[in-house]
Amino acid sequence: METTDPLATLVPAAREGDQSAWNAIVDRFLPLVGAIIRRHRLSEADGDDVSQTVWLRLVEHLGALREPDALPGWIRTTTRNECLRVLAARSRTRPVDPQDSGGLDAVAGDVADTELLAAERRQALREALAELPAGRRELLLLLLTDPPLAYDEISARLDIPIGSIGPTRARALEQLRRTRALRGLGPDPVGGVV
Amino acid sequence: MTDPNELNDDELMAELAAAVEEEAAVSDRRRNAARMAFTWRTVDAELAELLHDSALDAGAAVRSSGSPSGAPRTLTFVRGAITLEIEVDGDALLGEVVDDAGAGPATVTLQRPDADDRSVEADASGFFRFDGVEPGPARFVVTREGWSLTTPWATI
Repeated sequence: METTDPLATLVPAAREGDQSAWNAIVDRFLPLVGAIIRRHRLSEADGDDVSQTVWLRLVEHLGALREPDALPGWIRTTTRNECLRVLAARSRTRPVDPQDSGGLDAVAGDVADTELLAAERRQALREALAELPAGRRELLLLLLTDPPLAYDEISARLDIPIGSIGPTRARALEQLRRTRALRGLGPDPVGGVV
Repeated sequence: MTDPNELNDDELMAELAAAVEEEAAVSDRRRNAARMAFTWRTVDAELAELLHDSALDAGAAVRSSGSPSGAPRTLTFVRGAITLEIEVDGDALLGEVVDDAGAGPATVTLQRPDADDRSVEADASGFFRFDGVEPGPARFVVTREGWSLTTPWATI
Protein backbone atom coordinates (compact mmCIF):
# COMPACT_ATOMS: atom_id res chain seq x y z
CA MET A 1 0.00 0.00 0.00
CA GLU A 2 1.12 3.56 -0.78
CA THR A 3 0.37 6.82 0.98
CA THR A 4 -1.19 7.93 -2.30
CA ASP A 5 -3.83 5.16 -2.21
CA PRO A 6 -7.31 6.52 -1.47
CA LEU A 7 -8.54 6.38 2.12
CA ALA A 8 -11.43 4.26 0.90
CA THR A 9 -8.80 1.59 0.17
CA LEU A 10 -6.43 2.17 3.08
CA VAL A 11 -8.95 2.28 5.92
CA PRO A 12 -10.71 -1.05 5.19
CA ALA A 13 -7.34 -2.73 4.57
CA ALA A 14 -6.00 -1.49 7.92
CA ARG A 15 -9.20 -2.62 9.58
CA GLU A 16 -8.49 -6.10 8.25
CA GLY A 17 -5.01 -6.02 9.76
CA ASP A 18 -2.84 -4.83 6.85
CA GLN A 19 0.22 -3.21 8.45
CA SER A 20 1.34 -1.56 5.20
CA ALA A 21 -2.06 0.15 4.90
CA TRP A 22 -1.70 1.33 8.49
CA ASN A 23 1.80 2.65 7.79
CA ALA A 24 0.44 4.55 4.80
CA ILE A 25 -2.26 6.15 6.97
CA VAL A 26 0.37 7.05 9.57
CA ASP A 27 2.71 8.59 7.00
CA ARG A 28 -0.15 10.56 5.54
CA PHE A 29 -1.53 12.06 8.75
CA LEU A 30 1.51 12.37 11.04
CA PRO A 31 2.19 15.87 9.69
CA LEU A 32 -1.36 16.94 10.65
CA VAL A 33 -1.03 15.45 14.14
CA GLY A 34 2.39 17.10 14.52
CA ALA A 35 1.09 20.48 13.35
CA ILE A 36 -1.77 20.46 15.86
CA ILE A 37 0.55 19.40 18.70
CA ARG A 38 3.00 22.16 17.75
CA ARG A 39 0.23 24.78 17.88
CA HIS A 40 -0.59 23.70 21.45
CA ARG A 41 3.02 24.27 22.51
CA LEU A 42 3.44 21.00 24.39
CA SER A 43 6.87 19.84 25.50
CA GLU A 44 8.58 17.44 23.12
CA ALA A 45 7.97 14.50 25.50
CA ASP A 46 4.29 15.39 26.02
CA GLY A 47 3.96 15.81 22.27
CA ASP A 48 5.34 12.32 21.74
CA ASP A 49 2.84 10.96 24.28
CA VAL A 50 -0.10 12.73 22.66
CA SER A 51 0.93 11.55 19.22
CA GLN A 52 1.23 7.95 20.37
CA THR A 53 -2.12 8.11 22.18
CA VAL A 54 -3.84 9.44 19.06
CA TRP A 55 -2.54 6.53 16.98
CA LEU A 56 -3.38 3.96 19.65
CA ARG A 57 -6.90 5.37 19.76
CA LEU A 58 -7.17 5.25 16.00
CA VAL A 59 -6.20 1.57 16.05
CA GLU A 60 -9.15 0.85 18.28
CA HIS A 61 -11.42 3.26 16.37
CA LEU A 62 -10.81 1.73 12.91
CA GLY A 63 -13.67 -0.72 13.32
CA ALA A 64 -16.14 2.09 14.03
CA LEU A 65 -14.87 4.31 11.22
CA ARG A 66 -17.35 3.42 8.50
CA GLU A 67 -16.80 6.57 6.47
CA PRO A 68 -13.09 6.79 5.56
CA ASP A 69 -13.44 10.47 4.59
CA ALA A 70 -14.29 11.23 8.22
CA LEU A 71 -10.74 10.26 9.21
CA PRO A 72 -9.06 13.69 8.91
CA GLY A 73 -11.77 15.28 11.07
CA TRP A 74 -11.53 12.48 13.62
CA ILE A 75 -7.74 12.87 13.81
CA ARG A 76 -8.00 16.64 14.23
CA THR A 77 -10.60 16.40 17.00
CA THR A 78 -8.84 13.59 18.84
CA THR A 79 -5.43 15.26 18.68
CA ARG A 80 -6.79 18.57 19.88
CA ASN A 81 -8.69 17.00 22.78
CA GLU A 82 -5.67 14.97 23.82
CA CYS A 83 -3.50 18.12 23.74
CA LEU A 84 -6.00 19.92 25.98
CA ARG A 85 -6.15 16.99 28.40
CA VAL A 86 -2.39 16.85 28.72
CA LEU A 87 -2.03 20.62 29.08
CA ALA A 88 -4.61 20.60 31.88
CA ALA A 89 -3.23 17.48 33.56
CA ARG A 90 0.35 18.77 33.52
CA SER A 91 -0.67 22.13 34.93
CA ARG A 92 -1.81 20.30 38.08
CA THR A 93 1.64 18.96 38.73
CA ARG A 94 3.58 21.97 37.45
CA PRO A 95 2.00 25.02 39.05
CA VAL A 96 2.04 28.12 36.91
CA ASP A 97 3.74 31.21 38.24
CA PRO A 98 1.00 33.87 38.27
CA GLN A 99 3.71 36.49 37.65
CA ASP A 100 4.47 34.84 34.36
CA SER A 101 1.67 36.33 32.32
CA GLY A 102 2.32 34.13 29.32
CA GLY A 103 2.29 30.94 31.38
CA LEU A 104 -1.37 30.87 32.18
CA ASP A 105 -2.38 31.41 28.60
CA ALA A 106 0.00 28.70 27.56
CA VAL A 107 -1.66 26.08 29.75
CA ALA A 108 -5.22 27.30 29.57
CA GLY A 109 -5.19 28.41 25.96
CA ASP A 110 -7.02 26.50 23.34
CA VAL A 111 -5.79 26.87 19.81
CA ALA A 112 -7.79 29.12 17.55
CA ASP A 113 -10.04 27.37 15.07
CA THR A 114 -8.38 29.29 12.26
CA GLU A 115 -5.06 27.65 13.10
CA LEU A 116 -6.64 24.19 13.08
CA LEU A 117 -8.30 25.01 9.79
CA ALA A 118 -4.96 26.10 8.36
CA ALA A 119 -3.36 22.84 9.51
CA GLU A 120 -6.17 20.88 7.94
CA ARG A 121 -5.86 22.89 4.75
CA ARG A 122 -2.17 22.00 4.50
CA GLN A 123 -3.24 18.39 4.99
CA ALA A 124 -5.71 18.79 2.11
CA LEU A 125 -2.90 20.18 -0.05
CA ARG A 126 -0.78 17.09 0.70
CA GLU A 127 -3.79 14.92 -0.12
CA ALA A 128 -4.25 16.82 -3.36
CA LEU A 129 -0.60 16.25 -4.26
CA ALA A 130 -1.09 12.55 -3.61
CA GLU A 131 -3.98 12.52 -6.07
CA LEU A 132 -1.88 13.88 -8.94
CA PRO A 133 -0.28 11.54 -11.46
CA ALA A 134 3.24 10.63 -10.29
CA GLY A 135 5.00 12.66 -13.01
CA ARG A 136 3.23 15.89 -12.20
CA ARG A 137 3.59 15.38 -8.45
CA GLU A 138 7.32 14.81 -8.83
CA LEU A 139 7.70 17.94 -10.91
CA LEU A 140 5.92 20.06 -8.29
CA LEU A 141 8.00 18.54 -5.50
CA LEU A 142 11.22 19.24 -7.38
CA LEU A 143 10.08 22.82 -7.97
CA LEU A 144 9.45 23.16 -4.22
CA THR A 145 12.91 21.95 -3.25
CA ASP A 146 14.72 24.25 -0.88
CA PRO A 147 17.23 25.47 -2.01
CA PRO A 148 15.65 25.57 -5.47
CA LEU A 149 16.85 23.28 -8.20
CA ALA A 150 17.86 24.74 -11.57
CA TYR A 151 15.52 23.96 -14.45
CA ASP A 152 18.23 22.00 -16.30
CA GLU A 153 18.68 19.83 -13.20
CA ILE A 154 14.91 19.19 -13.02
CA SER A 155 14.88 18.53 -16.75
CA ALA A 156 17.63 15.92 -16.35
CA ARG A 157 16.01 14.23 -13.34
CA LEU A 158 12.58 13.88 -14.91
CA ASP A 159 13.88 13.44 -18.43
CA ILE A 160 11.65 16.19 -19.82
CA PRO A 161 12.61 19.21 -21.97
CA ILE A 162 13.38 22.43 -20.08
CA GLY A 163 10.81 24.23 -22.18
CA SER A 164 8.01 21.98 -20.93
CA ILE A 165 8.63 22.60 -17.21
CA GLY A 166 6.73 25.90 -17.04
CA PRO A 167 3.67 24.71 -18.98
CA THR A 168 3.62 21.38 -17.07
CA ARG A 169 3.77 23.26 -13.77
CA ALA A 170 0.77 25.34 -14.82
CA ARG A 171 -1.18 22.24 -15.88
CA ALA A 172 -0.23 20.38 -12.69
CA LEU A 173 -1.47 23.26 -10.53
CA GLU A 174 -4.67 23.49 -12.54
CA GLN A 175 -5.21 19.79 -12.02
CA LEU A 176 -4.37 20.19 -8.33
CA ARG A 177 -7.16 22.74 -7.94
CA ARG A 178 -9.60 20.22 -9.40
CA THR A 179 -8.57 17.33 -7.15
CA ARG A 180 -11.09 15.75 -4.86
CA ALA A 181 -9.09 16.93 -1.83
CA LEU A 182 -9.23 20.61 -2.81
CA ARG A 183 -12.74 20.60 -4.22
CA GLY A 184 -13.82 19.44 -0.76
CA LEU A 185 -12.49 22.67 0.75
CA GLY A 186 -15.53 24.90 0.94
CA PRO A 187 -16.11 27.88 3.22
CA ASP A 188 -15.83 25.42 6.17
CA PRO A 189 -13.45 22.74 4.96
CA VAL A 190 -13.52 20.92 8.27
CA GLY A 191 -17.16 19.94 8.34
CA GLY A 192 -18.88 18.30 11.27
CA VAL A 193 -17.17 17.27 14.47
CA VAL A 194 -16.75 13.52 14.81
CA MET B 1 -8.87 31.72 4.15
CA THR B 2 -8.72 32.09 0.42
CA ASP B 3 -10.16 29.31 -1.68
CA PRO B 4 -7.26 27.52 -3.43
CA ASN B 5 -9.04 28.17 -6.72
CA GLU B 6 -8.63 31.88 -6.17
CA LEU B 7 -4.90 31.71 -5.52
CA ASN B 8 -2.58 32.37 -8.42
CA ASP B 9 0.05 29.78 -9.26
CA ASP B 10 2.81 31.35 -7.18
CA GLU B 11 0.58 31.70 -4.11
CA LEU B 12 -0.53 28.12 -4.47
CA MET B 13 3.10 26.98 -4.75
CA ALA B 14 3.91 28.90 -1.55
CA GLU B 15 1.13 27.09 0.33
CA LEU B 16 2.29 23.80 -1.11
CA ALA B 17 5.79 24.52 0.15
CA ALA B 18 4.46 24.99 3.70
CA ALA B 19 2.45 21.77 3.43
CA VAL B 20 5.40 19.75 2.18
CA GLU B 21 7.70 21.26 4.80
CA GLU B 22 5.33 20.09 7.53
CA GLU B 23 5.69 16.58 6.20
CA ALA B 24 9.48 16.78 6.45
CA ALA B 25 9.22 17.94 10.09
CA VAL B 26 7.89 14.57 11.31
CA SER B 27 10.34 12.82 13.62
CA ASP B 28 11.30 9.19 13.07
CA ARG B 29 10.59 8.61 16.75
CA ARG B 30 6.93 9.58 16.36
CA ARG B 31 6.65 7.73 13.06
CA ASN B 32 7.95 4.52 14.59
CA ALA B 33 5.73 4.83 17.67
CA ALA B 34 2.71 5.43 15.43
CA ARG B 35 3.49 2.42 13.26
CA MET B 36 4.04 0.23 16.31
CA ALA B 37 0.62 1.25 17.66
CA PHE B 38 -0.87 -1.18 15.14
CA THR B 39 0.45 -4.14 17.14
CA TRP B 40 -2.19 -3.19 19.76
CA ARG B 41 -4.97 -3.94 17.33
CA THR B 42 -7.58 -6.17 18.93
CA VAL B 43 -10.64 -7.13 16.97
CA ASP B 44 -13.07 -8.13 19.69
CA ALA B 45 -12.16 -6.15 22.80
CA GLU B 46 -15.15 -4.90 24.79
CA LEU B 47 -14.31 -1.20 24.74
CA ALA B 48 -15.46 1.00 27.57
CA GLU B 49 -16.29 4.64 27.00
CA LEU B 50 -14.41 7.52 28.59
CA LEU B 51 -17.37 9.18 30.22
CA HIS B 52 -15.59 11.95 32.06
CA ASP B 53 -12.09 13.41 32.37
CA SER B 54 -11.68 16.19 34.92
CA ALA B 55 -8.76 17.52 32.85
CA LEU B 56 -11.30 18.60 30.23
CA ASP B 57 -13.60 20.36 32.69
CA ALA B 58 -14.11 23.97 31.72
CA GLY B 59 -11.33 26.08 33.18
CA ALA B 60 -9.58 23.06 34.74
CA ALA B 61 -6.13 24.42 34.00
CA VAL B 62 -6.93 27.87 35.33
CA ARG B 63 -8.46 26.57 38.56
CA SER B 64 -5.70 24.19 39.41
CA SER B 65 -3.01 26.79 38.79
CA GLY B 66 -4.81 29.01 41.29
CA SER B 67 -4.60 26.33 43.96
CA PRO B 68 -1.18 24.67 43.96
CA SER B 69 -2.53 21.55 45.63
CA GLY B 70 -5.10 21.18 42.80
CA ALA B 71 -7.46 18.22 42.95
CA PRO B 72 -6.07 15.07 41.31
CA ARG B 73 -7.25 14.32 37.80
CA THR B 74 -10.01 11.75 37.65
CA LEU B 75 -11.09 9.65 34.69
CA THR B 76 -14.34 7.72 34.54
CA PHE B 77 -14.84 4.82 32.14
CA VAL B 78 -18.15 3.06 31.69
CA ARG B 79 -19.42 -0.01 29.95
CA GLY B 80 -22.88 -1.31 30.77
CA ALA B 81 -23.20 -1.81 34.51
CA ILE B 82 -19.43 -1.47 35.05
CA THR B 83 -17.77 1.79 36.01
CA LEU B 84 -14.00 2.20 36.32
CA GLU B 85 -12.79 5.28 38.17
CA ILE B 86 -9.13 6.28 37.98
CA GLU B 87 -7.53 9.03 40.01
CA VAL B 88 -4.11 10.24 38.91
CA ASP B 89 -2.18 11.38 41.97
CA GLY B 90 1.42 12.13 41.01
CA ASP B 91 2.89 8.84 39.83
CA ALA B 92 0.23 6.81 41.67
CA LEU B 93 -2.98 5.60 40.07
CA LEU B 94 -5.83 4.92 42.48
CA GLY B 95 -8.81 3.14 41.06
CA GLU B 96 -12.17 1.64 41.81
CA VAL B 97 -14.20 -0.94 39.92
CA VAL B 98 -17.92 -0.45 40.46
CA ASP B 99 -20.22 -3.20 39.25
CA ASP B 100 -23.91 -2.50 39.65
CA ALA B 101 -24.57 -6.19 39.06
CA GLY B 102 -22.69 -7.21 42.20
CA ALA B 103 -19.19 -7.55 43.63
CA GLY B 104 -16.55 -10.20 43.10
CA PRO B 105 -12.80 -10.58 42.59
CA ALA B 106 -11.51 -8.43 39.74
CA THR B 107 -8.09 -8.19 38.13
CA VAL B 108 -6.99 -4.83 36.75
CA THR B 109 -4.21 -4.74 34.19
CA LEU B 110 -2.33 -1.55 33.32
CA GLN B 111 -1.11 -1.60 29.72
CA ARG B 112 1.56 0.75 28.35
CA PRO B 113 2.81 0.70 24.75
CA ASP B 114 6.46 0.56 25.83
CA ALA B 115 6.36 -1.60 28.96
CA ASP B 116 5.19 -4.98 30.19
CA ASP B 117 1.64 -5.30 31.48
CA ARG B 118 1.16 -4.87 35.23
CA SER B 119 -1.75 -6.53 37.01
CA VAL B 120 -3.23 -6.09 40.47
CA GLU B 121 -6.24 -7.59 42.23
CA ALA B 122 -8.93 -5.16 43.29
CA ASP B 123 -9.89 -5.53 46.97
CA ALA B 124 -13.32 -6.65 48.15
CA SER B 125 -14.64 -3.11 47.73
CA GLY B 126 -13.26 -2.84 44.22
CA PHE B 127 -10.31 -0.58 45.06
CA PHE B 128 -6.85 -0.96 43.53
CA ARG B 129 -3.61 0.98 43.20
CA PHE B 130 -0.61 1.23 40.88
CA ASP B 131 2.53 3.05 42.06
CA GLY B 132 5.45 4.41 40.08
CA VAL B 133 3.47 5.09 36.91
CA GLU B 134 5.39 7.27 34.45
CA PRO B 135 3.56 9.78 32.21
CA GLY B 136 2.49 8.50 28.81
CA PRO B 137 -0.26 6.55 27.06
CA ALA B 138 -2.05 3.96 29.18
CA ARG B 139 -5.14 1.83 29.18
CA PHE B 140 -6.78 -0.56 31.62
CA VAL B 141 -8.23 -4.01 31.24
CA VAL B 142 -10.59 -5.19 33.96
CA THR B 143 -11.34 -8.90 34.04
CA ARG B 144 -13.76 -10.65 36.30
CA GLU B 145 -15.46 -13.97 35.96
CA GLY B 146 -17.85 -13.67 33.07
CA TRP B 147 -16.64 -10.40 31.56
CA SER B 148 -13.73 -8.19 30.69
CA LEU B 149 -13.56 -4.52 29.83
CA THR B 150 -10.88 -2.54 28.02
CA THR B 151 -10.67 1.24 28.30
CA PRO B 152 -9.67 3.53 25.45
CA TRP B 153 -6.08 4.78 25.53
CA ALA B 154 -5.45 7.99 27.43
CA THR B 155 -2.33 10.05 28.09
CA ILE B 156 -1.72 10.20 31.81
